[in-house]
Amino acid sequence: MSLSEFWDFLVLGVVLGSLYAVIAIGYTLVYGVLQLLNFAHSEVFMFGGYGGLLALTALIPESTPSGMGSVAYVLIGMLAGAALGGAVAFGLERVAYRPLRRHRAPRLVFLITAIGASFFLYNLAGKLFGRNPLPMPSMYENKKVLSVFGAELTITQVLILVSAVAMMVGLDYVVNRTKMGSGIRAVAQDPEVASLMGVDIDKVVSRTFVLGGLLGGAAGFLFGTNSQVWYTMGFLPGITAFAAAVLGGIGNVRGAMLGGLMLGVVETMTVGLWGDDWRYVGAFVVLVLVLMVRPTGILGERVGRTA
Amino acid sequence: MLNKTIVKLAIPMAVGALALTGCGGGDSGSGDAYKIAFQGPLSGDNVQLGQNMENGIKLAIDQANAGGDLGFEVEYVPVDDQGLPDKATAAAQKAIDDESVVAVIGPAFSGPADTAAEVYGAAGLVALSSSATRPDLTTKGYETFLRAVPNDSAQGAGMAKYLSGKVKAEKVVVVDDKTDYGIGLADVAEKDLKAAGVEVVRQSVPQKTPDYSAAAKNVTKNKPDALVYAGYYQDAGPFAKKLKEAGFDGVAMSGDGTNDAQFIQLAGDASDGWLLTCPCTDATKEDATKKFAADYEKEFKQAPGTYSAESYDAAMMIIEEIKKLHEDGGVERQALVDALRAAKYKGLTKEFSFDDKGEFTNQTIYLYQVKGEGIEYQGSVDELAG
Repeated sequence: MSLSEFWDFLVLGVVLGSLYAVIAIGYTLVYGVLQLLNFAHSEVFMFGGYGGLLALTALIPESTPSGMGSVAYVLIGMLAGAALGGAVAFGLERVAYRPLRRHRAPRLVFLITAIGASFFLYNLAGKLFGRNPLPMPSMYENKKVLSVFGAELTITQVLILVSAVAMMVGLDYVVNRTKMGSGIRAVAQDPEVASLMGVDIDKVVSRTFVLGGLLGGAAGFLFGTNSQVWYTMGFLPGITAFAAAVLGGIGNVRGAMLGGLMLGVVETMTVGLWGDDWRYVGAFVVLVLVLMVRPTGILGERVGRTA
Repeated sequence: MLNKTIVKLAIPMAVGALALTGCGGGDSGSGDAYKIAFQGPLSGDNVQLGQNMENGIKLAIDQANAGGDLGFEVEYVPVDDQGLPDKATAAAQKAIDDESVVAVIGPAFSGPADTAAEVYGAAGLVALSSSATRPDLTTKGYETFLRAVPNDSAQGAGMAKYLSGKVKAEKVVVVDDKTDYGIGLADVAEKDLKAAGVEVVRQSVPQKTPDYSAAAKNVTKNKPDALVYAGYYQDAGPFAKKLKEAGFDGVAMSGDGTNDAQFIQLAGDASDGWLLTCPCTDATKEDATKKFAADYEKEFKQAPGTYSAESYDAAMMIIEEIKKLHEDGGVERQALVDALRAAKYKGLTKEFSFDDKGEFTNQTIYLYQVKGEGIEYQGSVDELAG
């Protein structure tokens, strides 16, 4: 791999990794408050893709918009994606998980419910939107706009990077600096004590799901813009993002971001060196090696319970 | 609806007729009827492909009956396998159990063909497929399976021939999608390109890869003159987009898995200029099939689709052989198998004949190209590559 190729692949890896990071936050937040592996989060991501797609298909004009028009449509798509993602996550918590919490169901039941909800949701999407992949309507002429060490980035790639960073900074602020964030952290540390202190646990859990859903939905829109939208598109990115959350230390928000970026870069570098056959081999070898040294992930379990 | 009504009327009438004649039966001559069945996806995800073929067959049967010189009637029997291997044997049994079925066109897809061919073999009923292209189907010793379409190896060979002969590519990247179809196609293309002295770089990108940008970089970093993508349109779409972003400016080529309008929809203008091969001809473009295309459109209110003309030919060939046997005294299933095996028939799309394994001897591949909003027919690879 020459130096210029190294930069090419590194940049592609960072772009992909920043998407993983945003999805991984959804896993880690929910795990933080409920110790639940919410496998249906990949479907929240998928619905985000459809949210953006449907809104844009309905609104966008025949010819590709430019200038401020493009900016407006990107915002519409992202908000629609985030909204549908948030709505699905909200509904998921209400319908699938809250009744189980009421009955104090064992951990395994939550896990099976999550998997069942995931199957239900992607088959529902297949029924509603068809099983053929759909292209995201073009919101702008996807030109190359930026050069980093010789690696040229397209508008889509810059858009993904900028929005991912903005979402991560925003979320970090919400979790660490707002009242809602301290509620989430309190429930994560000790739900019983938190409720004794007057924290409404149901409300906090619900908000946590919605927060993760908003980010996941927006990521789904960005992913769809970069590639295309189809009913099982959540599966691979979802699993990878879950691995990223574990790598960074599940329950820890900054860890999820770091883990996502790392997996994206390792994956893409592996592809650059040995081809697409090896994509997940490289990423998961790194995962195993890190977990052997640090079983709780890179940044440990700072937000969650200390076992 | 109409068909159901006819059946409802027909059953009591037939019963009545039997009662009147006291089951005397046995009147031969002009009253004979033979049935030709079609096994393919007539419901489910791939129903469009099945209908393309069914309509071609129906048209052939109608025209043959209307011709008036047969001395017998040909009837059509649909058997639906939804294109799924696990439905294939039941569908085949339906055709076998109807004793007046003398030949089956299909199974349309390779998977169902593989499971049903053995059943047809045991029943001595010919299964002539005009669209199952998996190469190994003719190597398994199925006794009555005949293939009236070039197989996937022919397609790979056609790609290699065009790229080495016409494009004069010196370096080609061949990418498969890790499916049976993709690997089979890519293997042949790679082998034939190397045999023609072309440098080949082989890569694999599994189906549904979440991000094709790294795969596209892997192609462009080799600076090839041409790319062969052996996979389906769902993946070719995003791959083509990323190739364009990565600055790929060589000749891009793919096979019949990508030869679909969906490819253009997914890839947008990144699909422009892609070359697509197919063992299928475009019935609306060749002189020989223009009349067929017009008749088809008149009858079914739509243009002939992929494999319509090929299915028409298959039905006509079978009817021709039935006619010969009928004149010689009688049509038996096994006799028809033997007759078709040895048959030489000149159809609209191509000449039909089979080798001793039931493989099609004429392996012509046709070339298409994406131009703007549509896929344009270019002609046969042999003629184009010279």
